[in-house]
Amino acid sequence: MSATRQTSHAPGFPPEQLGAVREPAPAGEVRLALDAAAFAPGARAMQEAGARFATMLLADSPEPSLVAAFALRGELVLLRAPAGGASAEFGSIGAWWPAARWAERELAELHGVRFGGPEHPGRLTAPDADLLDRHVSGLDVFSIPYGPVRSGIFEAIQFYIESGGEDVPRVETRPFFKRRGLEARFAGLAPDVAVHVAERVAGIASCAYASAFSQAVERALGVQAPQRAERWRAVYCELERMACHLDVIAKEAETTALYVGQARFQILKEQVMRLRNRLTGNRFGRGAILPGGVRGEGTMDLDELLEQVDRIERQLRRDRRMFLGTASMTDRLIGAGRLPRALVEDYGAVGPLARGSGLSTDARHERPYGNYKRLGVQVVSERDGDSMARVNVRFGELSESLRILRQTIDHLRRRDGELRAPLPALGEGAAFAWVEAPQGELLIRVELRAGRLHNVHVASPSLRNWALFDHAFPKDVLTDFAFIEHSFGLTPAGADR
Amino acid sequence: MLEWIQRGLSRGRITTRYPRRPEHPPAGYRGSVVVLDGENAPAGVERLCPTGAIALDAQRRITLDRGRCILCGECVRGAPERFAFASRYETAERARSGLLVGDVHRPEDALEPARKALGEQARMLRRSIHVRHIDCGSDGSEEWEIQALWNPYYDIQRLGFFLTNSPRHADILLVTGGVTGPMRKPLERTWNVMPDPKALVAVGTDACSGGLATEGELVAGGVDRVLPVDVYVPGSPPAPIAIMHALLLATGQLAPGEVAA
Repeated sequence: MSATRQTSHAPGFPPEQLGAVREPAPAGEVRLALDAAAFAPGARAMQEAGARFATMLLADSPEPSLVAAFALRGELVLLRAPAGGASAEFGSIGAWWPAARWAERELAELHGVRFGGPEHPGRLTAPDADLLDRHVSGLDVFSIPYGPVRSGIFEAIQFYIESGGEDVPRVETRPFFKRRGLEARFAGLAPDVAVHVAERVAGIASCAYASAFSQAVERALGVQAPQRAERWRAVYCELERMACHLDVIAKEAETTALYVGQARFQILKEQVMRLRNRLTGNRFGRGAILPGGVRGEGTMDLDELLEQVDRIERQLRRDRRMFLGTASMTDRLIGAGRLPRALVEDYGAVGPLARGSGLSTDARHERPYGNYKRLGVQVVSERDGDSMARVNVRFGELSESLRILRQTIDHLRRRDGELRAPLPALGEGAAFAWVEAPQGELLIRVELRAGRLHNVHVASPSLRNWALFDHAFPKDVLTDFAFIEHSFGLTPAGADR
Repeated sequence: MLEWIQRGLSRGRITTRYPRRPEHPPAGYRGSVVVLDGENAPAGVERLCPTGAIALDAQRRITLDRGRCILCGECVRGAPERFAFASRYETAERARSGLLVGDVHRPEDALEPARKALGEQARMLRRSIHVRHIDCGSDGSEEWEIQALWNPYYDIQRLGFFLTNSPRHADILLVTGGVTGPMRKPLERTWNVMPDPKALVAVGTDACSGGLATEGELVAGGVDRVLPVDVYVPGSPPAPIAIMHALLLATGQLAPGEVAA
């Protein structure tokens, strides 16, 4: 797995004047080393080549470096510049590429990386609920700090809303109220213990985080998880996707006061939660996935599992038809929170949000991993870019998840196999891995030293998508707020880490 | 709309009858860890636990703090003759010391006046209790499990618990997460504007002790370092029935140790 693979790139990339040196990397990664001065020009070249900015981090191997990751034509391209010595200064990428803004601010605030970009008032990573740092002006315009104590049972995040009562000229999203320092918590743990931390970065996507973390460890150590383990991972991850999407749809129904509809989708979600409980002994599928494979077989008869999947599909088909046929429901979603494709691209958004605006980015399809290499994925994409489009994407993905589940369970039923590959005791290495979490593409990078985790970076889809929320009210009024927020379907826990 | 009503009625009753009837988790459900044999434990057994929930005293007796346990199972796999998973939902306790498993001195759990008053009020108001939630740094799963209490399977409104959006109308505050720096002030302010009598329920291992969070990031390990906690519900995350059980404990509708008959 760790062998270098030569791949063809767009002609003229990377541009020669950057002086980039290609380094060995596991399949799917392209590692380019360059000087600090060439870092921002390198990112510019990536943008011009049509890449999507994914994340930026400080790495320790092979030397202390700043690493930026870009998704480009089925590969993850990594630019690395040495960050040794406190004197290194990098040009700002966020100044001209919105997707890099929050990543840059996080690195500057938490690690003192200097980008020479514009100064920001207030700290992104240490928000103050009482800080109202802007004086609003205009006829009847007032500001509402909404959160971090939310109305209802929601995670803590703050939206600083300016409104004249109806239209919303400005929204500022303030994450990081629940930063728990989990990336640092990985350090020194053995991979099979560290996976418990990964599962708790974003609790509602535990299986996706556990899979991405496990794959990263496997790629770093050159281990291949057995096929049967990859199939089980796909079962857990697709059930998780279903639970998350059903949750979003139930919340949209609640917001329109379509209470029977809400109850119906809550029932379906609870059925999925109970299936996961029977399969793994935990309603969120925790403890099932670990580096090297899975901990064991799912503790449920596969024929019965298949029956349950069919049953959920029958119910879902009818509830979906009724949901989409209820005008009082769809009228609130159509046109709400419209995000043009160009804006979504500028912000490097991922997941159902990006696919609702006409993009077809899906990690399962762009860089197939595990079971999806064999199974393929039908990427669901909608053009309209509004809340309705994002809900429609989720309905489409529910059907696709059911197809993947049925096929994978059938494969599991017909053939037996190993569940876990051993990891080398004192393995060393560093690698990225990716998973399409319910909220979008999740990237995790691990560095291992003497078999223990050394440096872990989590690039959550929630953080990357939330930067776009500030722009989600082009023609919308304050009462659309909840519809638009639910249609994003993100989790602050994943963003804040 | 008529079609929705038909659809709603067509399913029949699916709601649990808990606490009048017990609710059993499926086999293999990891609800809590129990100590099978706590005597003469081998040195180093406490190092199996990534959150430091296992302690050994001078006589090498095991104490397990369920308030720190994230149910990861490292101890059950590492020392199966000492630890095992118990498949049960009712994990809540009224005192932090109640979460300690092993030979520990446990003070008598006297009903605090505030909780007693809330219990009386619950009776007086014919069980109309308003609940408010605040997230102080959870992983997001506890919110799902609390939300689930209002879905048709659990329908906690039948027991008289209603959700309120204003802390000024709330009788019970559900707190999730181990209290991060930026959430300390909002938490204290929310609690202070709630009218007496009131109760605070710490939902999840993170809220009970801080869980896996890195030490320096939290104000303190657990909600009780900031505010007095009336009921602790360990679990990562606790299941909806576990949270329902905790709410019934908080209002005195179930006594400690009493489970659904």
